[in-house]
Amino acid sequence: MTEQALALRATGVRMEYRDPATRERLTAIERMDIEIPEGEFVSIVGPSGCGKSTFLKIVNGLLPATEGEIEIKHSKGGSDHAMVFQDSSLFPWYSVQRNVAYGLACRGVKRKEAFARALPFIKLVGLEGFESKYPYQLSGGMQQRANLARALTVDPELLLMDEPFAALDAQTRELMQVELIRIWSEAQKTVLFITHQIDEAIFLSDRVIVMSARPGRILADITIELPRPRDLDIKRTPRFVEYEEQIWRLISKQLSVGPEAAA
Amino acid sequence: MAAQTTTSGLAPSEQQAKRRHPQPPRMRRSIKNEPLVFGIIGFVVVLIAWEAAIDLGMARASLLSSPTRIWSAAVTDFGNGALWPHIATSLLEWTVGFALAIVVGIPLGLILGTFRRIGMIVDPLLSALYATPTVALVPLIILLFGIGIGAKFAVVFLEALVTLTVSTITGVKSADPRHLETARSFGASRWLAFTSVTLPSSVPFIVTGLRIGAGRALVGVIVAEFIAANVGIGFYISLNGNLLNASRVMLGVLLVGAFGVFVGIVIGRIQRYFDRWRPAIR
Ligand SMILES: Nc1ncnc2c1ncn2[C@@H]1O[C@H](COP(=O)(O)OP(=O)(O)OP(=O)(O)O)[C@@H](O)[C@H]1O
Ligand SMILES: [Mg+2]
Repeated sequence: MTEQALALRATGVRMEYRDPATRERLTAIERMDIEIPEGEFVSIVGPSGCGKSTFLKIVNGLLPATEGEIEIKHSKGGSDHAMVFQDSSLFPWYSVQRNVAYGLACRGVKRKEAFARALPFIKLVGLEGFESKYPYQLSGGMQQRANLARALTVDPELLLMDEPFAALDAQTRELMQVELIRIWSEAQKTVLFITHQIDEAIFLSDRVIVMSARPGRILADITIELPRPRDLDIKRTPRFVEYEEQIWRLISKQLSVGPEAAA
Repeated sequence: MAAQTTTSGLAPSEQQAKRRHPQPPRMRRSIKNEPLVFGIIGFVVVLIAWEAAIDLGMARASLLSSPTRIWSAAVTDFGNGALWPHIATSLLEWTVGFALAIVVGIPLGLILGTFRRIGMIVDPLLSALYATPTVALVPLIILLFGIGIGAKFAVVFLEALVTLTVSTITGVKSADPRHLETARSFGASRWLAFTSVTLPSSVPFIVTGLRIGAGRALVGVIVAEFIAANVGIGFYISLNGNLLNASRVMLGVLLVGAFGVFVGIVIGRIQRYFDRWRPAIR
Protein backbone atom coordinates (compact mmCIF):
# COMPACT_ATOMS: atom_id res chain seq x y z
CA MET A 1 0.00 0.00 0.00
CA THR A 2 1.00 3.61 -0.38
CA GLU A 3 2.11 5.92 2.39
CA GLN A 4 -1.49 6.71 3.26
CA ALA A 5 -3.48 3.76 4.57
CA LEU A 6 -6.22 2.87 2.12
CA ALA A 7 -9.59 1.45 3.07
CA LEU A 8 -10.44 0.54 -0.49
CA ARG A 9 -8.58 0.24 -3.75
CA ALA A 10 -10.44 -0.74 -6.92
CA THR A 11 -8.25 -1.28 -9.95
CA GLY A 12 -9.55 -1.63 -13.49
CA VAL A 13 -12.94 -2.92 -12.46
CA ARG A 14 -15.04 -3.85 -15.43
CA MET A 15 -18.45 -5.46 -15.35
CA GLU A 16 -20.44 -7.18 -18.05
CA TYR A 17 -23.81 -8.73 -17.42
CA ARG A 18 -24.83 -11.62 -19.57
CA ASP A 19 -28.43 -12.16 -20.39
CA PRO A 20 -28.98 -15.85 -19.71
CA ALA A 21 -31.72 -16.04 -22.36
CA THR A 22 -30.19 -14.18 -25.30
CA ARG A 23 -26.54 -14.63 -24.22
CA GLU A 24 -26.06 -10.99 -25.07
CA ARG A 25 -23.48 -9.11 -23.09
CA LEU A 26 -24.18 -5.75 -21.57
CA THR A 27 -21.33 -3.69 -20.31
CA ALA A 28 -22.49 -2.02 -17.13
CA ILE A 29 -19.11 -0.68 -16.03
CA GLU A 30 -16.36 0.09 -18.49
CA ARG A 31 -13.66 0.81 -16.01
CA MET A 32 -13.44 2.01 -12.44
CA ASP A 33 -10.28 2.91 -10.53
CA ILE A 34 -10.81 4.27 -7.05
CA GLU A 35 -8.66 4.71 -4.01
CA ILE A 36 -10.27 5.66 -0.74
CA PRO A 37 -8.07 6.51 2.23
CA GLU A 38 -9.19 5.42 5.65
CA GLY A 39 -11.82 7.59 7.28
CA GLU A 40 -12.83 9.40 4.09
CA PHE A 41 -16.40 9.94 3.03
CA VAL A 42 -16.68 9.43 -0.72
CA SER A 43 -19.84 9.72 -2.80
CA ILE A 44 -20.56 8.45 -6.27
CA VAL A 45 -23.09 10.26 -8.42
CA GLY A 46 -24.08 9.50 -11.97
CA PRO A 47 -26.99 9.00 -14.31
CA SER A 48 -29.42 6.20 -13.60
CA GLY A 49 -28.23 2.85 -14.89
CA CYS A 50 -24.57 3.81 -15.07
CA GLY A 51 -23.51 0.98 -12.81
CA LYS A 52 -23.31 2.55 -9.37
CA SER A 53 -25.19 -0.21 -7.60
CA THR A 54 -23.30 -2.76 -9.62
CA PHE A 55 -20.01 -1.31 -8.47
CA LEU A 56 -21.10 -1.34 -4.85
CA LYS A 57 -22.19 -4.95 -5.12
CA ILE A 58 -18.82 -5.85 -6.55
CA VAL A 59 -17.07 -4.12 -3.66
CA ASN A 60 -19.42 -5.90 -1.29
CA GLY A 61 -18.57 -9.26 -2.81
CA LEU A 62 -22.13 -9.92 -3.95
CA LEU A 63 -21.08 -9.91 -7.59
CA PRO A 64 -17.87 -11.06 -9.23
CA ALA A 65 -16.36 -8.43 -11.50
CA THR A 66 -15.61 -9.43 -15.06
CA GLU A 67 -12.20 -7.85 -14.77
CA GLY A 68 -10.21 -5.92 -12.24
CA GLU A 69 -9.36 -6.12 -8.63
CA ILE A 70 -10.82 -4.99 -5.33
CA GLU A 71 -8.64 -4.60 -2.28
CA ILE A 72 -10.27 -3.82 1.04
CA LYS A 73 -8.49 -3.15 4.27
CA HIS A 74 -8.85 -6.17 6.45
CA SER A 75 -10.54 -5.47 9.74
CA LYS A 76 -9.00 -6.84 12.89
CA GLY A 77 -12.04 -7.04 15.14
CA GLY A 78 -15.03 -6.38 12.94
CA SER A 79 -16.18 -6.94 9.38
CA ASP A 80 -14.28 -5.69 6.39
CA HIS A 81 -17.35 -4.04 4.97
CA ALA A 82 -21.08 -3.70 5.50
CA MET A 83 -23.85 -2.53 3.23
CA VAL A 84 -26.78 -0.23 3.84
CA PHE A 85 -29.37 -0.92 1.16
CA GLN A 86 -31.93 1.41 -0.28
CA ASP A 87 -35.04 0.14 1.48
CA SER A 88 -37.03 -2.91 2.50
CA SER A 89 -33.90 -4.72 3.47
CA LEU A 90 -34.81 -5.03 7.13
CA PHE A 91 -36.34 -8.39 7.90
CA PRO A 92 -39.99 -7.65 8.66
CA TRP A 93 -40.25 -10.74 10.87
CA TYR A 94 -37.49 -9.59 13.22
CA SER A 95 -37.69 -6.91 15.85
CA VAL A 96 -35.51 -3.82 15.46
CA GLN A 97 -33.02 -5.21 17.93
CA ARG A 98 -32.81 -8.57 16.22
CA ASN A 99 -32.42 -6.86 12.86
CA VAL A 100 -29.62 -4.68 14.14
CA ALA A 101 -27.95 -7.70 15.73
CA TYR A 102 -28.25 -9.69 12.51
CA GLY A 103 -24.78 -8.95 11.18
CA LEU A 104 -23.31 -10.23 14.42
CA ALA A 105 -25.44 -13.36 14.23
CA CYS A 106 -23.95 -13.91 10.79
CA ARG A 107 -20.53 -13.79 12.37
CA GLY A 108 -21.49 -16.47 14.84
CA VAL A 109 -22.06 -14.25 17.86
CA LYS A 110 -24.56 -15.76 20.31
CA ARG A 111 -28.02 -14.23 20.42
CA LYS A 112 -27.72 -12.73 23.88
CA GLU A 113 -24.36 -11.12 23.28
CA ALA A 114 -25.38 -9.90 19.83
CA PHE A 115 -28.47 -8.26 21.30
CA ALA A 116 -26.40 -6.54 23.95
CA ARG A 117 -23.87 -5.31 21.41
CA ALA A 118 -26.63 -3.98 19.19
CA LEU A 119 -27.95 -1.66 21.88
CA PRO A 120 -25.33 1.12 21.71
CA PHE A 121 -25.83 1.36 17.96
CA ILE A 122 -29.60 1.49 18.30
CA LYS A 123 -28.95 4.37 20.65
CA LEU A 124 -26.43 5.97 18.30
CA VAL A 125 -28.95 6.16 15.47
CA GLY A 126 -31.62 7.47 17.84
CA LEU A 127 -33.91 4.45 18.00
CA GLU A 128 -33.83 3.96 21.73
CA GLY A 129 -37.15 2.64 22.96
CA PHE A 130 -37.96 0.96 19.66
CA GLU A 131 -35.86 -2.16 20.21
CA SER A 132 -38.78 -4.55 20.30
CA LYS A 133 -40.81 -2.94 17.53
CA TYR A 134 -41.20 -4.58 14.14
CA PRO A 135 -40.13 -2.70 11.00
CA TYR A 136 -43.72 -2.04 9.93
CA GLN A 137 -44.13 -0.06 13.11
CA LEU A 138 -41.36 2.35 12.10
CA SER A 139 -41.42 5.27 9.70
CA GLY A 140 -39.27 5.18 6.58
CA GLY A 141 -36.62 7.34 8.20
CA MET A 142 -36.55 5.16 11.29
CA GLN A 143 -36.21 2.06 9.15
CA GLN A 144 -33.19 3.55 7.48
CA ARG A 145 -31.71 4.37 10.87
CA ALA A 146 -32.15 0.73 11.84
CA ASN A 147 -30.60 -0.24 8.53
CA LEU A 148 -27.61 1.93 9.29
CA ALA A 149 -27.33 0.60 12.83
CA ARG A 150 -27.29 -2.96 11.50
CA ALA A 151 -24.35 -2.11 9.29
CA LEU A 152 -22.49 -0.25 12.04
CA THR A 153 -22.93 -3.06 14.54
CA VAL A 154 -20.49 -5.32 12.71
CA ASP A 155 -17.87 -2.57 13.09
CA PRO A 156 -16.95 -2.48 9.40
CA GLU A 157 -13.81 -0.89 8.01
CA LEU A 158 -15.81 0.26 5.04
CA LEU A 159 -19.45 1.29 5.04
CA LEU A 160 -21.22 0.91 1.71
CA MET A 161 -24.43 2.85 1.23
CA ASP A 162 -26.61 2.55 -1.85
CA GLU A 163 -29.04 5.45 -2.01
CA PRO A 164 -30.05 4.90 1.60
CA PHE A 165 -32.27 7.97 1.72
CA ALA A 166 -33.88 7.69 -1.71
CA ALA A 167 -37.25 6.63 -0.35
CA LEU A 168 -37.47 9.46 2.16
CA ASP A 169 -39.23 12.77 1.82
CA ALA A 170 -37.09 15.87 1.38
CA GLN A 171 -37.29 17.01 5.00
CA THR A 172 -36.54 13.65 6.56
CA ARG A 173 -33.79 13.26 4.05
CA GLU A 174 -31.99 16.43 5.14
CA LEU A 175 -32.41 15.41 8.74
CA MET A 176 -30.88 12.04 7.97
CA GLN A 177 -27.97 13.70 6.19
CA VAL A 178 -27.16 15.69 9.30
CA GLU A 179 -27.56 12.55 11.39
CA LEU A 180 -25.30 10.57 9.10
CA ILE A 181 -22.55 13.17 9.40
CA ARG A 182 -22.87 13.05 13.17
CA ILE A 183 -22.77 9.25 13.24
CA TRP A 184 -19.93 9.15 10.75
CA SER A 185 -17.78 11.48 12.83
CA GLU A 186 -18.57 9.50 15.97
CA ALA A 187 -18.04 6.07 14.47
CA GLN A 188 -15.05 7.12 12.33
CA LYS A 189 -15.77 4.91 9.37
CA THR A 190 -14.76 5.02 5.76
CA VAL A 191 -17.90 5.51 3.71
CA LEU A 192 -18.66 4.87 0.07
CA PHE A 193 -22.01 6.49 -0.58
CA ILE A 194 -24.18 6.38 -3.66
CA THR A 195 -26.81 8.98 -4.37
CA HIS A 196 -28.73 10.67 -7.13
CA GLN A 197 -28.89 13.89 -5.23
CA ILE A 198 -25.95 16.16 -5.99
CA ASP A 199 -26.42 18.38 -2.95
CA GLU A 200 -26.52 15.33 -0.73
CA ALA A 201 -23.23 14.10 -2.17
CA ILE A 202 -21.50 17.44 -1.68
CA PHE A 203 -22.91 18.02 1.76
CA LEU A 204 -21.75 14.65 3.09
CA SER A 205 -18.51 14.01 1.28
CA ASP A 206 -14.84 14.68 1.25
CA ARG A 207 -14.83 13.63 -2.39
CA VAL A 208 -17.50 13.26 -5.03
CA ILE A 209 -16.92 10.87 -7.92
CA VAL A 210 -18.97 11.59 -11.02
CA MET A 211 -19.69 8.69 -13.33
CA SER A 212 -20.57 8.70 -17.00
CA ALA A 213 -23.72 7.17 -18.44
CA ARG A 214 -23.57 3.45 -19.10
CA PRO A 215 -21.09 1.90 -19.62
CA GLY A 216 -19.91 3.60 -16.48
CA ARG A 217 -16.52 5.12 -15.98
CA ILE A 218 -15.19 7.96 -13.86
CA LEU A 219 -15.69 11.42 -15.35
CA ALA A 220 -14.41 13.44 -12.48
CA ASP A 221 -13.14 13.05 -8.95
CA ILE A 222 -13.88 16.26 -7.10
CA THR A 223 -12.47 17.05 -3.70
CA ILE A 224 -14.99 18.98 -1.62
CA GLU A 225 -13.08 21.57 0.32
CA LEU A 226 -15.80 22.69 2.63
CA PRO A 227 -14.98 23.03 6.31
CA ARG A 228 -16.35 20.54 8.79
CA PRO A 229 -18.44 20.34 10.88
CA ARG A 230 -21.07 21.28 8.33
CA ASP A 231 -24.67 22.15 8.90
CA LEU A 232 -27.52 22.51 6.44
CA ASP A 233 -26.89 26.26 6.02
CA ILE A 234 -23.75 25.43 4.10
CA LYS A 235 -25.96 24.35 1.21
CA ARG A 236 -26.69 28.00 0.50
CA THR A 237 -23.08 29.20 0.46
CA PRO A 238 -21.54 30.24 -2.89
CA ARG A 239 -18.84 27.55 -2.66
CA PHE A 240 -21.45 24.87 -2.25
CA VAL A 241 -23.52 26.14 -5.14
CA GLU A 242 -20.41 26.24 -7.31
CA TYR A 243 -19.75 22.59 -6.62
CA GLU A 244 -23.37 21.83 -7.38
CA GLU A 245 -23.18 23.56 -10.75
CA GLN A 246 -19.91 21.93 -11.64
CA ILE A 247 -21.27 18.45 -10.99
CA TRP A 248 -24.62 19.19 -12.56
CA ARG A 249 -22.94 20.30 -15.79
CA LEU A 250 -21.01 17.03 -15.93
CA ILE A 251 -24.10 14.93 -15.40
CA SER A 252 -26.48 16.83 -17.64
CA LYS A 253 -24.09 16.44 -20.55
CA GLN A 254 -24.34 12.72 -20.01
CA LEU A 255 -28.10 12.77 -19.93
CA SER A 256 -28.40 14.43 -23.31
CA VAL A 257 -26.12 11.83 -24.88
CA GLY A 258 -27.42 8.48 -23.69
CA PRO A 259 -30.82 6.96 -24.35
CA GLU A 260 -30.86 6.02 -20.67
CA ALA A 261 -32.84 8.95 -19.39
CA ALA A 262 -35.95 6.90 -18.93
CA ALA A 263 -34.21 3.85 -17.53
CA MET B 1 -64.53 0.07 6.60
CA ALA B 2 -61.90 2.37 5.24
CA ALA B 3 -61.48 3.92 8.64
CA GLN B 4 -60.45 0.60 10.08
CA THR B 5 -57.75 -0.28 7.62
CA THR B 6 -55.50 2.51 8.77
CA THR B 7 -55.32 1.59 12.42
CA SER B 8 -52.06 -0.35 12.19
CA GLY B 9 -48.98 0.76 13.99
CA LEU B 10 -50.42 3.63 15.96
CA ALA B 11 -51.10 3.50 19.62
CA PRO B 12 -54.83 3.72 20.30
CA SER B 13 -54.50 7.10 21.96
CA GLU B 14 -52.78 8.51 18.90
CA GLN B 15 -55.56 7.28 16.65
CA GLN B 16 -58.17 8.93 18.75
CA ALA B 17 -56.26 12.16 18.79
CA LYS B 18 -55.74 12.20 15.05
CA ARG B 19 -59.27 11.43 14.05
CA ARG B 20 -61.78 14.18 14.45
CA HIS B 21 -65.02 13.00 13.05
CA PRO B 22 -67.98 15.13 14.00
CA GLN B 23 -69.50 11.84 15.14
CA PRO B 24 -67.07 9.18 16.19
CA PRO B 25 -67.98 5.77 14.75
CA ARG B 26 -68.95 4.45 18.14
CA MET B 27 -71.32 1.74 16.95
CA ARG B 28 -68.56 -0.11 15.18
CA ARG B 29 -66.40 -0.30 18.25
CA SER B 30 -69.08 -1.43 20.66
CA ILE B 31 -69.47 -4.91 19.16
CA LYS B 32 -66.84 -7.29 20.40
CA ASN B 33 -66.02 -10.33 18.31
CA GLU B 34 -68.00 -8.93 15.44
CA PRO B 35 -67.39 -11.79 12.97
CA LEU B 36 -68.42 -14.38 15.54
CA VAL B 37 -71.60 -12.55 16.48
CA PHE B 38 -72.70 -12.12 12.88
CA GLY B 39 -71.70 -15.68 12.04
CA ILE B 40 -73.92 -16.99 14.80
CA ILE B 41 -76.78 -14.80 13.64
CA GLY B 42 -76.47 -16.37 10.18
CA PHE B 43 -76.55 -19.83 11.68
CA VAL B 44 -79.59 -19.18 13.82
CA VAL B 45 -81.50 -17.67 10.90
CA VAL B 46 -80.82 -20.72 8.73
CA LEU B 47 -81.83 -23.11 11.51
CA ILE B 48 -85.10 -21.32 12.15
CA ALA B 49 -85.93 -21.12 8.45
CA TRP B 50 -85.13 -24.81 8.07
CA GLU B 51 -87.33 -25.85 10.96
CA ALA B 52 -90.12 -23.60 9.75
CA ALA B 53 -89.93 -24.94 6.21
CA ILE B 54 -90.35 -28.52 7.47
CA ASP B 55 -93.13 -27.64 9.90
CA LEU B 56 -95.03 -25.73 7.25
CA GLY B 57 -94.78 -28.73 4.95
CA MET B 58 -92.65 -26.95 2.34
CA ALA B 59 -90.13 -29.80 2.39
CA ARG B 60 -90.24 -33.39 3.48
CA ALA B 61 -88.69 -34.22 6.83
CA SER B 62 -87.78 -37.72 5.60
CA LEU B 63 -85.43 -36.19 3.03
CA LEU B 64 -84.20 -33.03 4.68
CA SER B 65 -84.74 -33.79 8.36
CA SER B 66 -84.91 -30.72 10.61
CA PRO B 67 -82.88 -29.17 13.42
CA THR B 68 -85.08 -30.65 16.16
CA ARG B 69 -85.01 -34.10 14.57
CA ILE B 70 -81.24 -33.97 14.22
CA TRP B 71 -81.02 -32.88 17.82
CA SER B 72 -83.03 -35.86 19.05
CA ALA B 73 -80.92 -38.20 16.88
CA ALA B 74 -77.84 -36.71 18.51
CA VAL B 75 -79.26 -37.19 22.00
CA THR B 76 -80.03 -40.82 21.23
CA ASP B 77 -76.75 -41.78 19.55
CA PHE B 78 -74.53 -39.92 21.96
CA GLY B 79 -76.62 -41.17 24.88
CA ASN B 80 -76.29 -44.87 24.06
CA GLY B 81 -72.65 -44.42 23.06
CA ALA B 82 -73.19 -45.60 19.49
CA LEU B 83 -71.41 -42.57 18.00
CA TRP B 84 -68.22 -42.58 20.01
CA PRO B 85 -66.37 -45.38 18.19
CA HIS B 86 -67.12 -43.69 14.87
CA ILE B 87 -65.85 -40.35 16.07
CA ALA B 88 -62.76 -41.84 17.69
CA THR B 89 -61.84 -43.84 14.60
CA SER B 90 -62.26 -40.95 12.18
CA LEU B 91 -60.37 -38.64 14.48
CA LEU B 92 -57.50 -41.11 14.70
CA GLU B 93 -57.39 -41.54 10.92
CA TRP B 94 -57.37 -37.83 10.36
CA THR B 95 -54.78 -37.09 13.01
CA VAL B 96 -52.29 -39.78 12.05
CA GLY B 97 -52.66 -39.22 8.31
CA PHE B 98 -52.42 -35.44 8.58
CA ALA B 99 -49.52 -35.56 11.02
CA LEU B 100 -47.61 -37.84 8.65
CA ALA B 101 -48.35 -35.47 5.80
CA ILE B 102 -46.98 -32.55 7.83
CA VAL B 103 -43.86 -34.40 8.89
CA VAL B 104 -43.14 -35.45 5.32
CA GLY B 105 -44.71 -32.68 3.25
CA ILE B 106 -43.21 -29.57 4.80
CA PRO B 107 -39.58 -30.73 4.88
CA LEU B 108 -40.05 -32.13 1.39
CA GLY B 109 -41.36 -28.78 0.20
CA LEU B 110 -38.46 -26.97 1.85
CA ILE B 111 -35.95 -29.24 0.15
CA LEU B 112 -37.61 -29.10 -3.25
CA GLY B 113 -37.94 -25.33 -3.04
CA THR B 114 -34.36 -24.81 -1.95
CA PHE B 115 -32.48 -27.12 -4.27
CA ARG B 116 -33.35 -26.08 -7.79
CA ARG B 117 -32.17 -29.20 -9.56
CA ILE B 118 -34.14 -31.61 -7.41
CA GLY B 119 -37.09 -29.30 -7.77
CA MET B 120 -36.86 -29.45 -11.56
CA ILE B 121 -37.07 -33.22 -11.45
CA VAL B 122 -39.94 -33.43 -9.02
CA ASP B 123 -42.00 -30.38 -9.99
CA PRO B 124 -43.77 -31.92 -13.02
CA LEU B 125 -44.60 -35.05 -11.04
CA LEU B 126 -45.95 -32.95 -8.26
CA SER B 127 -48.04 -30.76 -10.54
CA ALA B 128 -49.53 -33.87 -12.11
CA LEU B 129 -50.31 -35.29 -8.71
CA TYR B 130 -51.71 -31.95 -7.60
CA ALA B 131 -54.06 -31.78 -10.56
CA THR B 132 -55.30 -35.33 -10.03
CA PRO B 133 -58.16 -35.71 -7.58
CA THR B 134 -56.42 -38.18 -5.31
CA VAL B 135 -59.74 -39.59 -4.13
CA ALA B 136 -59.78 -41.35 -7.47
CA LEU B 137 -56.90 -43.41 -6.16
CA VAL B 138 -58.76 -44.58 -3.08
CA PRO B 139 -59.88 -47.91 -4.55
CA LEU B 140 -56.29 -48.62 -5.50
CA ILE B 141 -55.02 -47.75 -2.03
CA ILE B 142 -57.62 -50.02 -0.49
CA LEU B 143 -56.42 -52.81 -2.78
CA LEU B 144 -52.89 -52.17 -1.56
CA PHE B 145 -53.53 -51.66 2.13
CA GLY B 146 -56.74 -53.56 2.74
CA ILE B 147 -59.83 -52.11 4.31
CA GLY B 148 -58.21 -51.59 7.71
CA ILE B 149 -57.11 -48.36 9.27
CA GLY B 150 -53.78 -48.44 7.40
CA ALA B 151 -55.53 -47.69 4.14
CA LYS B 152 -57.27 -44.73 5.75
CA PHE B 153 -53.98 -43.33 6.99
CA ALA B 154 -52.61 -43.67 3.48
CA VAL B 155 -55.56 -41.91 1.86
CA VAL B 156 -55.52 -39.02 4.34
CA PHE B 157 -51.76 -38.72 4.06
CA LEU B 158 -51.88 -38.54 0.30
CA GLU B 159 -54.76 -36.08 0.27
CA ALA B 160 -52.91 -33.61 2.49
CA LEU B 161 -49.35 -34.26 1.36
CA VAL B 162 -49.38 -32.74 -2.10
CA THR B 163 -51.09 -29.56 -0.96
CA LEU B 164 -48.64 -29.11 1.87
CA THR B 165 -45.61 -29.75 -0.30
CA VAL B 166 -46.73 -27.51 -3.12
CA SER B 167 -47.57 -24.58 -0.88
CA THR B 168 -44.29 -24.96 1.00
CA ILE B 169 -42.39 -24.86 -2.28
CA THR B 170 -44.30 -21.73 -3.26
CA GLY B 171 -43.39 -20.24 0.10
CA VAL B 172 -39.71 -20.96 -0.30
CA LYS B 173 -39.73 -19.37 -3.73
CA SER B 174 -41.56 -16.32 -2.44
CA ALA B 175 -38.55 -15.22 -0.41
CA ASP B 176 -37.66 -11.66 -1.40
CA PRO B 177 -34.35 -11.61 -3.32
CA ARG B 178 -33.48 -8.38 -1.52
CA HIS B 179 -33.68 -10.15 1.81
CA LEU B 180 -31.57 -13.03 0.53
CA GLU B 181 -29.07 -10.51 -0.78
CA THR B 182 -28.97 -8.79 2.59
CA ALA B 183 -28.23 -12.10 4.28
CA ARG B 184 -25.49 -12.82 1.81
CA SER B 185 -24.05 -9.34 2.15
CA PHE B 186 -23.63 -9.86 5.89
CA GLY B 187 -21.95 -13.16 5.23
CA ALA B 188 -24.74 -15.38 6.53
CA SER B 189 -24.12 -19.07 6.15
CA ARG B 190 -26.51 -20.97 3.90
CA TRP B 191 -28.17 -22.40 6.95
CA LEU B 192 -28.60 -19.00 8.61
CA ALA B 193 -29.93 -17.51 5.39
CA PHE B 194 -32.41 -20.36 5.32
CA THR B 195 -33.60 -19.93 8.89
CA SER B 196 -33.55 -16.14 8.88
CA VAL B 197 -35.05 -15.47 5.45
CA THR B 198 -36.41 -18.47 3.59
CA LEU B 199 -38.25 -20.03 6.49
CA PRO B 200 -39.97 -16.89 7.81
CA SER B 201 -40.95 -15.91 4.26
CA SER B 202 -42.55 -19.27 3.62
CA VAL B 203 -44.47 -19.52 6.88
CA PRO B 204 -47.63 -17.80 5.57
CA PHE B 205 -47.70 -20.20 2.63
CA ILE B 206 -47.11 -23.19 4.87
CA VAL B 207 -49.99 -22.14 7.10
CA THR B 208 -52.22 -21.81 4.06
CA GLY B 209 -51.08 -25.29 3.06
CA LEU B 210 -52.04 -26.53 6.50
CA ARG B 211 -55.47 -24.98 6.19
CA ILE B 212 -56.22 -26.49 2.78
CA GLY B 213 -54.48 -29.75 3.64
CA ALA B 214 -56.56 -30.16 6.80
CA GLY B 215 -59.72 -29.85 4.75
CA ARG B 216 -58.50 -32.29 2.12
CA ALA B 217 -57.49 -34.73 4.84
CA LEU B 218 -61.02 -34.58 6.15
CA VAL B 219 -62.37 -35.32 2.69
CA GLY B 220 -59.96 -38.25 2.57
CA VAL B 221 -61.31 -39.65 5.82
CA ILE B 222 -64.91 -39.50 4.70
CA VAL B 223 -64.35 -40.82 1.18
CA ALA B 224 -62.20 -43.71 2.35
CA GLU B 225 -64.83 -44.66 4.87
CA PHE B 226 -67.58 -44.38 2.27
CA ILE B 227 -65.78 -46.85 0.06
CA ALA B 228 -64.69 -49.48 2.52
CA ALA B 229 -65.11 -49.36 6.28
CA ASN B 230 -67.18 -50.72 9.10
CA VAL B 231 -66.57 -47.91 11.52
CA GLY B 232 -66.03 -44.13 11.28
CA ILE B 233 -68.14 -41.08 10.67
CA GLY B 234 -68.05 -41.60 6.92
CA PHE B 235 -69.31 -45.12 7.44
CA TYR B 236 -72.00 -43.82 9.82
CA ILE B 237 -73.15 -41.33 7.20
CA SER B 238 -73.25 -43.79 4.32
CA LEU B 239 -74.90 -46.48 6.45
CA ASN B 240 -77.67 -44.14 7.53
CA GLY B 241 -78.00 -42.92 3.99
CA ASN B 242 -78.72 -46.46 2.92
CA LEU B 243 -81.21 -46.77 5.78
CA LEU B 244 -82.88 -43.56 4.57
CA ASN B 245 -82.32 -41.95 7.95
CA ALA B 246 -81.86 -38.32 6.96
CA SER B 247 -81.49 -37.07 10.54
CA ARG B 248 -78.49 -39.27 11.24
CA VAL B 249 -76.92 -38.42 7.89
CA MET B 250 -77.27 -34.75 8.74
CA LEU B 251 -75.91 -35.35 12.22
CA GLY B 252 -72.81 -36.98 10.75
CA VAL B 253 -72.36 -34.18 8.26
CA LEU B 254 -72.73 -31.57 10.98
CA LEU B 255 -70.13 -33.31 13.13
CA VAL B 256 -67.67 -33.34 10.26
CA GLY B 257 -68.46 -29.71 9.51
CA ALA B 258 -68.03 -28.70 13.14
CA PHE B 259 -64.67 -30.42 13.24
CA GLY B 260 -63.64 -28.62 10.08
CA VAL B 261 -64.58 -25.29 11.62
CA PHE B 262 -62.71 -26.13 14.81
CA VAL B 263 -59.55 -27.00 12.89
CA GLY B 264 -59.93 -23.78 10.92
CA ILE B 265 -60.02 -21.78 14.14
CA VAL B 266 -56.95 -23.53 15.52
CA ILE B 267 -55.03 -22.86 12.33
CA GLY B 268 -56.24 -19.27 12.40
CA ARG B 269 -54.65 -18.95 15.84
CA ILE B 270 -51.41 -20.37 14.55
CA GLN B 271 -51.55 -17.97 11.64
CA ARG B 272 -52.09 -15.00 13.90
CA TYR B 273 -49.12 -16.00 16.00
CA PHE B 274 -46.85 -16.12 12.97
CA ASP B 275 -48.32 -12.93 11.54
CA ARG B 276 -47.54 -10.79 14.55
CA TRP B 277 -44.84 -8.97 12.62
CA ARG B 278 -47.30 -7.82 9.98
CA PRO B 279 -49.55 -4.81 10.20
CA ALA B 280 -53.00 -6.04 11.16
CA ILE B 281 -55.35 -5.58 8.24
CA ARG B 282 -58.98 -5.99 9.11
N1 LIG C 1 -28.65 -8.44 -12.41
C1 LIG C 1 -28.52 -7.79 -13.59
N2 LIG C 1 -28.52 -8.48 -14.74
C2 LIG C 1 -28.37 -7.85 -15.91
N3 LIG C 1 -28.20 -6.52 -16.03
C3 LIG C 1 -28.18 -5.78 -14.93
C4 LIG C 1 -28.34 -6.38 -13.64
N4 LIG C 1 -28.28 -5.40 -12.71
C5 LIG C 1 -28.10 -4.27 -13.38
N5 LIG C 1 -28.02 -4.47 -14.71
C6 LIG C 1 -27.78 -3.47 -15.75
O1 LIG C 1 -26.57 -2.85 -15.46
C7 LIG C 1 -26.68 -1.44 -15.62
C8 LIG C 1 -26.26 -0.76 -14.35
O2 LIG C 1 -27.19 -1.08 -13.31
P1 LIG C 1 -27.06 -0.49 -11.85
O3 LIG C 1 -28.16 -1.03 -11.05
O4 LIG C 1 -25.68 -0.71 -11.38
O5 LIG C 1 -27.29 1.06 -12.13
P2 LIG C 1 -27.31 2.28 -11.11
O6 LIG C 1 -26.24 3.19 -11.51
O7 LIG C 1 -27.31 1.79 -9.73
O8 LIG C 1 -28.70 2.93 -11.45
P3 LIG C 1 -29.71 3.68 -10.49
O9 LIG C 1 -29.12 5.01 -10.25
O10 LIG C 1 -30.96 3.78 -11.30
O11 LIG C 1 -29.84 2.87 -9.26
C9 LIG C 1 -28.10 -1.16 -16.01
O12 LIG C 1 -28.13 -0.89 -17.40
C10 LIG C 1 -28.85 -2.42 -15.73
O13 LIG C 1 -29.80 -2.66 -16.72
MG1 LIG D 1 -28.73 1.73 -8.11
